[in-house]
Amino acid sequence: MRIVIAEDDALLRRGLVLLLTGEGFEVVAAASEPDGFLAAVAEHRPDVAVVDVRMPPTHTDEGIRAAVEARRLVPDLAVLVLSAYVEQAFATNLLAEGTNGVGYLLKERVGNVEEFLDALHRVAAGGTAMDPEVIAQLFTRRHAPMERLTAREREVLALMAEGLGNTAIAQRLVVTDGGVQKHIRSIFAKLDLAPTDQVDRRVAAVLHYLES
Amino acid sequence: MTRDAFEALERLAGGLGTAILASMVLSLWILVAAACLVGVGLLMIPPMLALTRAVADRERGRLNRWGFEVVTPYLQQDTATGWTARMRAARRDPATFRDLRWVAAHATLGLVLGVVAVLMPTMTLRDASLPLWWGLLPPENQITSYDLPLTTYPAVLAAALAAVVVQVIAVVLASRMARLQALPGVRLLRPHPSIDLSRQVARLTATRAGALQAHAAELRRIERALHDGAQNRLVAVVVTVAVAKRALAREAASTGLALDGPRAALDEAQGAAEQAVAELRGVVRSILPPILEDRGLSGALSALAAGSAVPCALAADDLGQLPLSVETTAYFVVAEALTNVAKHSGARKALVEVRRDGGLLRVVVSDDGRGGASEAGGTGLDGIRRRVEAHDGIITLTSPLGGPTTIEVELPCGS
Repeated sequence: MRIVIAEDDALLRRGLVLLLTGEGFEVVAAASEPDGFLAAVAEHRPDVAVVDVRMPPTHTDEGIRAAVEARRLVPDLAVLVLSAYVEQAFATNLLAEGTNGVGYLLKERVGNVEEFLDALHRVAAGGTAMDPEVIAQLFTRRHAPMERLTAREREVLALMAEGLGNTAIAQRLVVTDGGVQKHIRSIFAKLDLAPTDQVDRRVAAVLHYLES
Repeated sequence: MTRDAFEALERLAGGLGTAILASMVLSLWILVAAACLVGVGLLMIPPMLALTRAVADRERGRLNRWGFEVVTPYLQQDTATGWTARMRAARRDPATFRDLRWVAAHATLGLVLGVVAVLMPTMTLRDASLPLWWGLLPPENQITSYDLPLTTYPAVLAAALAAVVVQVIAVVLASRMARLQALPGVRLLRPHPSIDLSRQVARLTATRAGALQAHAAELRRIERALHDGAQNRLVAVVVTVAVAKRALAREAASTGLALDGPRAALDEAQGAAEQAVAELRGVVRSILPPILEDRGLSGALSALAAGSAVPCALAADDLGQLPLSVETTAYFVVAEALTNVAKHSGARKALVEVRRDGGLLRVVVSDDGRGGASEAGGTGLDGIRRRVEAHDGIITLTSPLGGPTTIEVELPCGS
């Protein structure tokens, strides 16, 4: 898998390169600011871009804008955005352009290599990876239909919203695949959503529902 | 009548004190002016100006004690250093010349009035009693206190009578004399009418706005230093430790060694670094919530209201430009208050109102819960108060048992 990194902090950039190279990925370029990143994306046409949200010059949302721009340049590019903190507006702006092959993680999740690589693979395969914090923030909002869900169903919904598939959810919750499917059918019924098999559409549905 | 006269006498005597100081300053000025002719005096001007201000301030204090409002008129505190800078600052300030005019007036008129008022009672006593002991005086001393020759007894009687009459007139006029003595000070030691207090107020407002802006810039700098510096370094540590752990795992697999000790140490290092990152994020959020920079106060507050566990409505006017530190405080107040509502009130709904009244930002958070909130219960109200008061704001908590609870906060926000 070919990867381009955009990260302005030299130490962290080197750490990411080291980590990904060590795991057998091919890091074709590592840029320190948006323009260099976009040039690298145009030149190398990588499979995945790993992008820090805060980059020069203003250190606000350059990374989000660069990620959106990069996906215009290379339409099937998967983007995994790393953020110093969870900002709903960032996630929303990122997802507005489509949820296929998009991920949004807190920076420190990178340290949990298994989860980070899992998210990377999911995004590269055209799926979605959302940080649990993003989901947790969405869940603090009160929505009347949400009250109808059982505690277990909410757990399942949260994992679904993170972008996990049924098997992964079953492993996390230590239940059978069939059990998870049963919960999901029940969630969709309670939330008046039509069930589908596509992971990303489930996430989109969940996110859109929660944001409404 | 007599009480007024005694009070007037006291004032005149006090005025005599500053008049003596003023006359000393006046004499010094004359010396300095003379020395200026040979150049040396020029160096003495700045310290003389400072001395003049000190004496003028003494008179201001005295006048204020007697009920005249005489506020300090100087444009700036005396911070200039170096002869040219101090001269320029003094020349720019109209109060300098008004001080000098006051010195001249008070050193003459004020001194005369003070001396007359203090000496006259003694002289009256002497002249009025003169008929009793006039004959005992040697001939060359046979004069009144006012230097009139006394040669005949009727003249002595007339002089005694005149002294009493003059004293009575003086007593009647005493309060007017005191007012006359105070007049130059009241007129000249105040700020010039064209300057007025509005300029002082404008200056103080500008200073406050400047301080708030500087504070905002400082908050941004700290936030940036934490997010882009410390946090990135820590995440780099987390990632590097992760790389080491993976390498260690591969090593263990290929050599068949257990290597449990190093792995446990690396796990611990990773855990500690991850916790530090999370804590740092919390610290940054309390210093400058990132959402404020992105969406402004209204946007940030509507996010808070939307995220509230108790259904919460938001009523916010167009708030315009506010200093960032005021926005941060308002945000913190609402966030804390809504947390309290969720934790303690048992309320079914809450309301956040924010509006701006000129130079005040008013934030009201109310709920329909059980009330009885107090600052003693470790409910975060104490934290709210401390942050509000740090901004010279006012917090009012109304929470009778049985509810409802209202927290009202007023924050000065410049204009």
